[in-house]
Amino acid sequence: MPLTLEIVTPEGCVYSDTVDTVVLPTVQGEIGILPGHLPLLTQLEDGELRVQKGGSMESLACGRGFAEIAGDKISVLAEQAINVAAIDEAAVEKACRRAEEALAQKQSLSAEEAERLEGVMRFAYAQLDLKRRRRG
Amino acid sequence: MPSTRDIRRRIKSVKNTRQITKAMELVAASKMKKAQQAALAGRPYAQLLADMLAVVAARVDESVHPFLAAREVKTRGILLITTDKGLCGPLNSNLFRLVSEIRTPAKFVAVGRKGTQFLARAKRDLLADFSVSDRTPFAEVRPVVEFMVKQFLAGEIDTIEVIYPRFKNTLVQESLVRPVLPLANVKDFLGHLHAETGITARTDDREMLFEPGAQQVLDALLPFYVNRLMYQFVLSARASEHSARMVAMKTAKDNASKLLDDLTLEYNKARQAGITAEILEISASQMAQSA
Repeated sequence: MPLTLEIVTPEGCVYSDTVDTVVLPTVQGEIGILPGHLPLLTQLEDGELRVQKGGSMESLACGRGFAEIAGDKISVLAEQAINVAAIDEAAVEKACRRAEEALAQKQSLSAEEAERLEGVMRFAYAQLDLKRRRRG
Repeated sequence: MPSTRDIRRRIKSVKNTRQITKAMELVAASKMKKAQQAALAGRPYAQLLADMLAVVAARVDESVHPFLAAREVKTRGILLITTDKGLCGPLNSNLFRLVSEIRTPAKFVAVGRKGTQFLARAKRDLLADFSVSDRTPFAEVRPVVEFMVKQFLAGEIDTIEVIYPRFKNTLVQESLVRPVLPLANVKDFLGHLHAETGITARTDDREMLFEPGAQQVLDALLPFYVNRLMYQFVLSARASEHSARMVAMKTAKDNASKLLDDLTLEYNKARQAGITAEILEISASQMAQSA
């Protein structure tokens, strides 16, 4: 029986499909989910989310969040998610540099602003890492 | 009967009003589109988050986290989300009515200038007021939530509730009081939410694994949930504001157009009467000469 995967971000539902297996980047390392998995609720790190469907593989960069597996339904709740094909390396690099520069003057930033920028950077690194690995 | 010049003056001023309201309608319409999109796009996320929280909350003891424990309510903490500017129909006054109905001791936090003014006028206990710019970035809502959570944990307030105009559609906004914390009644709340969105609750009381652990997941999930939920409220209020303003401006514009029609008719009548009177005078004087 196939799994139903649903990825929801604050911008809306970005992925919804039936798939064969999913690999999730959790805080304790990657875990693969096959049909018939035990119900599980886990915390996700910024990283790569792999989806296998009928022999083809899809890769998404995924921000922090949570994932719930209940029966054959996987719900992923992430701050951001982007398909590897849609990642614009130059733009991400630029965003990354901007965030780095802003973070360099850390004392002038408020705590929440610094935290937001760190989030941006983490996700940017996750995207770059994924893009380069896919190519190389 | 007023002179033609008076009528002309009025026509000019009504025309001006129509132009202004029309411009404001267009501005509100474009802002509304963005705000509505943001509010609707965030809903599935908030929903899923609430579902996940329910899953965890059903499996842990409620005393493990102060957000979950029910406690005696001495002072309610209420966040009032209003607009900064007026001219948006009955949106704000509907919210104020809800505030006036609160008789139990309560402390208020306001977002939006109208709310601040009202609470000051009504001599309510206003703890703090925040302003959130029109783009509604999350970074500006966060301090509000942090402030309220701090007060909640310190025992200054025993609940966190939100009064806001919920965005239903462009024509309908409901003024609501929504409890946020404590989550002791998370089940009731979810039932309410499900009834509203039409999604049936998943009942799954099977054994559940938590990674890294139930406590850690809960500790991460709860603040995240509160932040997100409050943000969603603000987004919804923003969408309501722009919708209400657009509708109000459209009514004003239509009304001005109608008034203009009536005035134009009256003006033409007056002008015609003037011409008739003049012809009468000329022909009368001609007849007097020839006689």
